[in-house]
This record gives sequence, C-alpha cells and structure tokens, in this order.
Amino acid sequence: MSEEAQADRALLERKVRKAFQVLVLQRGRNPGVKGWEMKRSLGRDFRSILEVLSEEVAPLGLEVFEVKGPEGTDDSSRFLLRFKEPPTVSEAETSGIRIDDLAVLAATIAFVNSKQGRVGRKEVEHFLREKFPKWRVEYSLDRYVKRGYLEQDERSMIHVGWRTRAEVDEKTLMTMILSRAQEAPKK
Amino acid sequence: MEQKKLEEVLRVIELCRSVESSSANPFDVDIKAKIKLLKERLPEWKFLDELLVDSEAMLELAQIVRLQDEWLKHRASALYIDPLLIQLKIKLLEKGALSEAFIRSWHPVAQLDQISPRGLEKAFVYWRDLRPMSERFKSQFGTNGAVPGVVDYDELVSMGVFTQQQFDATLKELQDELMERSNGDWIDYREFIGSDTYEGKVKRSYLLAFLISEGKATLRTEPLTGKIWVTALREKANTPPKSVAIPIGEEA
Repeated sequence: MSEEAQADRALLERKVRKAFQVLVLQRGRNPGVKGWEMKRSLGRDFRSILEVLSEEVAPLGLEVFEVKGPEGTDDSSRFLLRFKEPPTVSEAETSGIRIDDLAVLAATIAFVNSKQGRVGRKEVEHFLREKFPKWRVEYSLDRYVKRGYLEQDERSMIHVGWRTRAEVDEKTLMTMILSRAQEAPKK
Repeated sequence: MEQKKLEEVLRVIELCRSVESSSANPFDVDIKAKIKLLKERLPEWKFLDELLVDSEAMLELAQIVRLQDEWLKHRASALYIDPLLIQLKIKLLEKGALSEAFIRSWHPVAQLDQISPRGLEKAFVYWRDLRPMSERFKSQFGTNGAVPGVVDYDELVSMGVFTQQQFDATLKELQDELMERSNGDWIDYREFIGSDTYEGKVKRSYLLAFLISEGKATLRTEPLTGKIWVTALREKANTPPKSVAIPIGEEA
C-alpha cells in the first residue's frame, strides 16, 4: 500500500472514530446529533463517514440511523446510533421498562397514526381510558411527550414525536397490532 | 351590512381553527370558495382592523393547506389504516400483547449518559462559589435569618414599642372603646380593629388579642361567611380559652 493510501486510510479511521464518539456521547437533553453539527465535526463528506461507521458497528448489533427533520435538509436531520434489531421481550423486561407503559405508548402511536397523524389529547385520553386507569394514561402521556416519543402542540393536539420516528418501525408496529388482534383475547 | 361581511370572514377563521384543533378531515374546508370570498371582500375593507382580520383568515387557510398536505402524505403511506379497525384491534388486544408489538418494532437508541470533564468542572466551580444558606438571602431579608415567630409582651416592652404604663393605658382605652361600641352586642371584628394605617390596625388587633386572652372580651366566628364578631365582657370569662388565628392584611 502506498504512503498516500495509508495516510488516507488513517484519516478515515480517525474520522470514523470521531463520528462514533460524537454519536455516542450525549450532548444536551436529546440523543443524537444534528446534521449541521456532524458537518462541523467531520466535514462535508460526513455521510460517507457515517456509512462506514454503520458497517463497523453492525457486528455489535448497532446501526447509524437518520431521522429527517421538518425541513428535510441535511442540516435539520438528526443522526443517532440505535439497535439494528429490536431487543427480545425478556431483554426489554429486564431493563426495567414497565409493560403497561409500553402498552400505552403502542396504543397511542397506533391511534394517532389511524387519525392521520394528529389527534386531540382529550380524544387520546378518552380512548386509552377504556383500557388503562386514568392516572396511568395522564402520567404516561406526559412522560412520553417529555421524552420525545410524542409531541403536543399549542392546540393540545398529539403527534408522533421525533424519538418514535427514530426508534420505532411504525409500519411493523401497525402490522403487529393488526395481526395480533386476530388472536382470541385471554379471559 | 359591513358587519355581516366581516362576520363571514370571522366564520372562515373559526372554521379553520376548529379543523386545526381536532382530527377532522382538513379537506372538509373548501379552500377555493373561501379564498374567492376573501378576494371579493378585500377591496371593501377600509380600516386596519378589517385588513388584519383578512390576513388572519389567509394565514388560517394556509395552515389548512399544510394540514391537507400532511393528510395526503399520511394517507399515501403504508401507515394508513381505517381508524375504526385499528381502534377495535387495540381494544381487543391484551396489554402484554400491545407492549410486545411495540418491543418487536423498537430499535432503542444507544448512547452514553455521563458527565464530561467540562461538566464536572462547571459543577465544581458552582459548588465552590455557592455562598452558605445563611448568607445567600442577606440582601433581600437582612442578616437576622430568624424564622417568623411570636413576639410576646415582654419583648415588645424590651424593644421599646411599649412601656408598662403606656401599655396598660392603651389597653384600658381599647377595652372602654369596645365596651361602648359593642354595648352588650356583637360587633364586626375587622371594623373594630380598622385604622388609617396598617401599623395601627396590627396594633389594635394585638391589643384586642391581649384583651381576649385576659378574658375581658370574646370572639365568635362564622365559618360559612368568614365573618368574625367580637364583644366586650363585663365579667371575666371562666371558660377555657381557644386559639384562633386571624390574618391581618393591609386591605382587610
């Protein structure tokens, strides 16, 4: 390998390492790094560096994922590292996540999607209260809004949040709900 | 006539807002017809307020167009499923099955939650420069740092607010005044302690509390109306005393 090629390779490795560090260290309240920050840290060709990183972390069960921003530009996109495959149910349970809380979130996302992506908070609460206690509905909704899984606008309309777009394969979720519901409910 | 025309525009705004704040179909708003209406009315507006209402209506219509765009995109995506169907399915599912559906479509974010050396340094500097509690509010509340408590008669005398003679004379004056004004009936407590100044009011209420504690006057409260009545007693009361807290505000 020529010296020039070796230098290029060393530079790429350095940039990939830096990209990993930038992505994995939380800066601010929300995980992930905006496109403009990536550009500043890695240069204009940050996308190709992220592609290499995504291949590098694949054996660890991770991938680099892009969440498109509202403007649809490179700068407004958010990049993050996430699990390539979903965890198993027992893995999720052992991480301390409450099944009831996840059920509220799953039902809310499906309900919001069925209503063209926006629905009044009161309507969501009314719908969920048929299945969950009132206190849990209010507590969980507030919590998921705070954590970015749901968004609530100034008119109290609930939308799917950026974090859901980042972490949840919504098509799979909807398909699972539809196919699972065909099973007879337990008594 | 002008008012009627303006109401039409206001109705457009209301319609748009009601669609925006519900999950109603944004295509229920006939954008073309509404814009035509605004176009027809525009030359008739003379005042700034009317023009502002017109521009607000345009803004709301633009919001509806945005919602229509989102609605179409969503409908075209694979996420669209008949709302009634999905609601029925969710109702049928057990909580465990719902959460399992979520977990199977979930790719959690991987990140490190840790304090950086810079954060640690900031925390250290903050802690180092933080003044002790006793000194922190000196400028606002003075250096005493004493919590609110009870000032008794001896303290007032020692602070020079009263001398023994002054206090006795003032107390006697107040007792006579109460005797005269109540004349065996109940009179309004707040009217009685009323004074030109807040300090005067506090002083009268303090002295009256002293008379009541001595058994030379008594209080009656009406919890429903919040009224407090007071009267002077010719003979010292022998009933066991009860404690009543009455806030004295500047306005009361």
